[in-house]
Amino acid sequence: MPQGGGTRPRNIDSRVILFEDVKLVYPNGVHALSDINLQINRGEFLFLVGSTGQGKSSILKLIYREVRPTAGDVTVDGRPLSRLPESQVPFLRRKVGVVFQDFKLLRQKTVWENVAYALQVTGASSRDVMRRVPRALELVGIAHKSKMFQHELSGGEQQRTAIARSLVNNPLIMLCDEPTGNLDPETSSEIMALLARINAKGTTVVVATHNQASVDRMRRRVVRLIHGRIAHDEERGRYHVGLG
Amino acid sequence: MDWGKVRFFWSEVAQNFTRNAAMAVTAIGTVAISIIVLGVFLFLRSSSDIVMKSVVSKLEIAVYLKDEVEGPTITAMLHALQIDPRVDSARFVSKNQALADLRKRLHGQVDLGLINSNPLPNSIIIHTIDPENVPVVAQEFTSRPEVSYVNYGSQHTQKLLRAETVFGYIGIGIIVLLLIANALIIYNTIRLTVFARQREINIMHLVGATRWTIRWPFVLEGVLSGLIGAAVGLAVLWPTYHALVPKLALNLPFLPLDLSAVPVGHIALELLLIGGLIGMFSSWISVSRFVETA
Repeated sequence: MPQGGGTRPRNIDSRVILFEDVKLVYPNGVHALSDINLQINRGEFLFLVGSTGQGKSSILKLIYREVRPTAGDVTVDGRPLSRLPESQVPFLRRKVGVVFQDFKLLRQKTVWENVAYALQVTGASSRDVMRRVPRALELVGIAHKSKMFQHELSGGEQQRTAIARSLVNNPLIMLCDEPTGNLDPETSSEIMALLARINAKGTTVVVATHNQASVDRMRRRVVRLIHGRIAHDEERGRYHVGLG
Repeated sequence: MDWGKVRFFWSEVAQNFTRNAAMAVTAIGTVAISIIVLGVFLFLRSSSDIVMKSVVSKLEIAVYLKDEVEGPTITAMLHALQIDPRVDSARFVSKNQALADLRKRLHGQVDLGLINSNPLPNSIIIHTIDPENVPVVAQEFTSRPEVSYVNYGSQHTQKLLRAETVFGYIGIGIIVLLLIANALIIYNTIRLTVFARQREINIMHLVGATRWTIRWPFVLEGVLSGLIGAAVGLAVLWPTYHALVPKLALNLPFLPLDLSAVPVGHIALELLLIGGLIGMFSSWISVSRFVETA
């Protein structure tokens, strides 16, 4: 439950991500997370903050089923992931767009092809691809660079491409792992503003970040992790919430 | 059949070929060189097989008859041989015919005018369908009362037949070893090209591609690399074959080698098939390892 912040209304039907007593220990023995109980509602915008190694990325990896919890369970869109067969993971990932600090674009593909790929793997028709890719590129403001390759783009443009790729399948949730970690302050602000616009259209957005300026400016829900535990959870929080 | 997916897979293959040209050329080149080595050996094996078969097919049984054996008995023996399923041909050589043949063979070497009588016996010359049956059929005649002597070069025949079997096994052994060596070389090359794209495979997983969606373009690419590599290898082998074989036939006239009997078309098809299959399995195994662990 949130600590230190205001009371949060918790409607069972509206929760899209649910962590119940989650513990995560990696095979190398590193204790990443302990006693994680967290509810994230549909359409919510949440910042995960904390210094490096506190478990922010591990929370995201549990949501897109890159790792499984050692104990407890994670439920996404009503589906407990511990019971999700391996063959269903790709279908979960089509509902969960992921954006990384290092962009993770396919180097030999153009901007257009990178975004289209996320659609094509779902079996979308070429007509669908032709309709939805330009829309996603327009939304993130990268349509004019659609024929360029990754090495021809700036960091911000690469991140916009990655966001367009995660958006194109109309995901329920967008997870962003340090999306502004490699960007200058001005571009970082633009990317955060873009994420806020995407959230305003109804997508749940979870951002793991060190970007204090953006967190303090946007005043959204902030969850602070310390030593793999939730130390603080506050509505309209600030970056240093819970640090005294 | 989902044609949209088929089109998507092939467009991925085409893109990988054109945008990762260096890797594609490496894989194709490796297959081509392996196919050339294998092709040369298959040709040599096929040629030596033909030589061996030609030598072995000349094995015959000479059944020498006693002088008192009359025409009806000989006719009955010939008839029995003609209906024997193991026998390819059986012909009677009269003692006069045998002498005439001898005169012809030794013409200019020995003066046979000194011989007044004909010491040669009547005989039946038998060819079996399978040279392996030569000793068996010959043995059946040795104890017959009409027969004075059976000659089938028993020791040489046994050695020749054994040599044919041993050469056959050695040939198959070398082909198997070459195939394994080639498969390993091609597999390692393709594995390296897949390994270089491990990051891509991880990204494909992250955007929700199923294992088969990731695997198919790699497998198709492997098949194509194998087929193109084999075709390049054949493009080198074919003109070389046509340029060298006539010279080989001219320079080795003593060998009973009918080079036109070497099934080059068949060998070419085999090489294409080998290239395609090794390419396919190499990609399949390589990509599966990364897909399973991603």
